[in-house]
Order: sequence, then C-alpha cells, then structure tokens
Amino acid sequence: MSGLGPLTSREFKKWYRNPISLVTGLIQPFFWIALFGSAFAGLADLGGGGASSIIQGAPNYITFILGGVLTITGLFTAMFTGVNLIFDRRLGTLGRFLIAPIRRSSIVFSKIFSAIARILIQVVILIVAALILPDGLRFAHGFTLFDVGVLVSAVIMISFVFASIFNLIAIRITQPNSLFGILNLINLPLLFTSYAMFPPDLMAGWLRTAAKYNPVSWAAESIRMVVINGSLTGSQMSQLGIWMLGLFVLAVVLVLLTYFISERGIRE
Amino acid sequence: MIKTEDLTKIYNGKFTAVDKLNIEIEEGEIYGLLGPNGAGKTTTINMLVTRIAPTSGSAIVDGYDIVKNSLKVRKIIGVVPQDLTTDEDLSGYENLMMVSQFYDVPKRDAIEQIEKLLKLVNLEDSAGKLVKQYSGGMRKRLELIAGLVHDPKILFLDEPTLGLDVTTRSQMWKYVRDIQERLDVTIILTSHYLEEVDALANRISIIDHGKVLVTGTSEELKAKLKGDIIQMTFKTQEEAEKMKNYPNLVASKDSGPNSVRLTVQDSDVELPKVISYISNNGLSVTRMTVQKPSLDDVFLEYTGKEIRAEDAGDFKQTMFNMRRLRR
Repeated sequence: MSGLGPLTSREFKKWYRNPISLVTGLIQPFFWIALFGSAFAGLADLGGGGASSIIQGAPNYITFILGGVLTITGLFTAMFTGVNLIFDRRLGTLGRFLIAPIRRSSIVFSKIFSAIARILIQVVILIVAALILPDGLRFAHGFTLFDVGVLVSAVIMISFVFASIFNLIAIRITQPNSLFGILNLINLPLLFTSYAMFPPDLMAGWLRTAAKYNPVSWAAESIRMVVINGSLTGSQMSQLGIWMLGLFVLAVVLVLLTYFISERGIRE
Repeated sequence: MIKTEDLTKIYNGKFTAVDKLNIEIEEGEIYGLLGPNGAGKTTTINMLVTRIAPTSGSAIVDGYDIVKNSLKVRKIIGVVPQDLTTDEDLSGYENLMMVSQFYDVPKRDAIEQIEKLLKLVNLEDSAGKLVKQYSGGMRKRLELIAGLVHDPKILFLDEPTLGLDVTTRSQMWKYVRDIQERLDVTIILTSHYLEEVDALANRISIIDHGKVLVTGTSEELKAKLKGDIIQMTFKTQEEAEKMKNYPNLVASKDSGPNSVRLTVQDSDVELPKVISYISNNGLSVTRMTVQKPSLDDVFLEYTGKEIRAEDAGDFKQTMFNMRRLRR
C-alpha cells in the first residue's frame, strides 16, 4: 500500500545502471579526501609547535578533516536528490505514481532513503581511502562501536536534514534549474560558515559565531570528536550530546514536515 | 458503473472547466467523451480517477464516492493518462512489475497478468528491453497495459492515440477492442479524434465548455441530424429544377451548374425512390453521390465548430508528446 519498496528499488536500479553517476559517486569521496588532505595539509604545521592544538589534537590534517568531508559528502548527495523528483515530474513518471493507491510521501521518501543508502556506501569508501593514503587517517585512540554509531548517525541525520529541505523545494517547483540555482547559492556559504573544513581557531570572530549555529558544524564536529579522541571527558560528552540532539531535532522536524507536505499533495 | 451528479470543477474560483456534468456509464461498455480541446474532458477524467478533487457535485465509481473513498476507487480503476508515464531507465517488464506492486498484486498473479498483457499487445519479445529503446508505438502500448496490471474493473483512456501516426493509431484501436473483449473491463475514453470515438465507443457524449451537449450511440447521434445528402448533376439546369419537386425532401439546394443537393431523411430508403422518380420523369443524370452524415457533422451541429481546428495550445501539447514519443 505504501509504495516505498518498489519506488526505492526503482531508484537503486536507476543508480547502478547509470555508469557515470555510479562511478562518479564512488570516486568523488577519493577526490575529496586526497585533494583536501593535500591542499590543507600545511594547516597542521601552522603555529609551530602548537600544531595539533589548532587541529584539535588530531595526529594529522586528514584525520581532522574526515568529519568535515563525511558531512559534506552526505550534504551534497542529499541536496541533489530533489532534482530526481523534478525530473520524474518532467518526464511524466510522477503522473503514474500519483494515480496509484500509494502514499504520496513514499514518492519523496524513496528518494531520500535511496540517497542515504548511497551516502553510506560513500562513507565506507571514504574511510577506506583515508586509511590507505600516506600520512592518512589514524585512529590514535582506537575506534569503538560507540564511535561508529556517532559517525554514522551524524552523517545520516545531516543527510536527512538536507535531503528533506531540497525535496520540500522540489515538491513545488518545476524547473530543475531553479533547484540548481538554490543549490549553488547555498552550498559554499553553508560550507564556509561551518567547522567542516577549518578549525574554529583560524576563523574570524563573527564567522566562528555563525559557524557555531550551523548544523553542518554540529555533524562535522561530532564525528571529529569521536575520531580524534579516545574516551571522552564529561564536558566533551555533553558537548557531543548537544550537537547530536540538535541534529536529531532538526532532522525529525524536517522529516515530519516533508511527510505532511508531500501527503497534502505533490505538484503534478 | 459510474454516475456523476452535477460534477463541477472551477479553477482558481474563476475558470469553470467542468460545469454540472451528469453522465452515466454502464458496465462493459466503451464510453467515449468527445470534445474540442479545453472542453473539460481531461478534467472530468482527472476527477473520476481522484487525481483532483471536484469543486462541487459528486461521482460514484462502482459504488465508491470519488472523494470519500478515493483510495478504494484508485484500486479498482486503471488509468492510461495522456502523458507518457513509464520510466525510460527501466525495462518494460520492470515498469509493469513496479506498478503491480503499487497495487499490492501478489507476485505470482502479477507475473501471470503481466505475461498475458504483454502478449495482448505483442510486446512479449521486447519486455526485457529498456523503455528508452522502444519506438513511439511500443511505448504507447506499454502505457496501455500499465493501466491494467491490477486487473481493474474500469479503464480510463485519456487521448490514447495523441501524437501517433495513422497506422499506429488503428493498431491501438485494435488493442483497445481486444482488451475490452478479453479482460471484461469497462472503458472510458476521451478523444478529440472523431474517427477514434466513432470506431471504438458504444456510446458517445459530446461535451463542450464542461457540459454534456448530447449522448447516444454514433448512429443515434447521426440520426439526430436532419438526414442524408444526395448530390446530383444533370445534363441541363431545367432537369435539375425538376428534381427539386421530388416529394420526400427535407431540403434542397442548388449546388453549382446543373447540380442540386437534396437532403432526405434516410438515403437507404429514398435512393430507390429517387431513381424511379428520375426514370419516370425522363431525367438524365450524369453524376450522383450519396453522403451520410459523419460524426464531424454531428459535432459541428452541437458545438458550432469544426473539431479539427486545433488551437495553438493544443498544437504545442501535441508536439511535446510527439517529441517524447520519438526519443
């Protein structure tokens, strides 16, 4: 009755049958980690002996940046899912879904869920890539099940947030270009007003304040905290709790919003 | 099977697309909704298939109210919309399987039904190909059976042959007839092609400005016109004038030199009488044609316009559909 199963399986078929989107989606994480790792590796040497204090105690820049790159990968892949809804509308397939006895929201959530599955695959590739790079990712204090849980749920939550936002937009608009416009307008500002790429200590005061309230920072910093540190101190734990709770609330609100708005009707 | 009561759709509080429409459709028939573009055909269909809600009035589809029981209605109807709706990146078979999952058809029944339908429209050999490799006609056939995977009681066909060439169109008609006969389904068809409605529908309603103007079988509608036309040319004008004195005329009119155009009630009955009138009066006819009224004439009579005169908007839509079909 829901339609979620057949629609999600359709999304997967479309994904793995398109060799370009499949390969680029799988290679992109490599690029991210290799290029960012090299481009900003010098950061670690800034400030002489206090290097690892700037990158929050990480053994090297790739270990520091991992949380940011994971977040960004989730963010970008999630944002693009809205486009598929617009193409379904323009190519007519949406018409078939809308006359079937399925929940309207299943049309939207099939895209969100398939995006999140793709993101998780990218996450695995990315971590493997970071581990095999020279001077790459190092879990200095081990990597526990708790750490995996935090990492995966942070990526999933930030992906839900942005996949929901962009599908909400796509429920209404008919031009893919409008969506690309919005996407281009906000992706870089969103990135640079966050702690995803740069440590707070290198930021201007106002930017640091803005970044503090950016959910992209919450996800990146949460992952960073468990990757860099071993067992967390009490204050670290409560900081992590605040970030994760913030992400959770935001994701739940947006998912509910997406559910109710798509149930009310998807523009034909 | 379907009954509407003052079904009305007003867009934006201004434009009345469907205006207190009352139609009744019997089980097992092919019912044609004929009208010019913008007459309200598609809006009517969209309300009956619960795609849009009526502004006022109501409709019952096989016992279910289209507003209160819209999900129930959706389950028992099949729809073939005007636009193409199959996914080009999936195979024909995968498309049909996906749709049957929407209707919770058990897997085994779905496989059986899909095989039957593919055979019916001769797509069994192409079922494994991606839809983007299909020709325009094949895609339309796939659309046709995509509306039937859940074995619906009622099938809605909205302009099923829009943008298809003449040969493909008559092929589609054959498939529609086969479907009606073999699957025991009631079909509601909209079209602005007269030949199509004439060829397929048992009963026809002509609609314009959202209202039903007249309903009946093709023959009944034609019979409502004044009659058939007998066109004759004689050797002389005198003879032509004499012919106008023929007793059973509805009307008569000069039509060119030495020619006359007679309107009679039923040419099948009148023709022998006309011929004996000619020989009894010693007239010499050089040319004689009989013309039965077409649905065109019926349409002209009721809507006051030629159905073929397509407005620009429709032309654009047609081109759009054709472009999609060709890709």
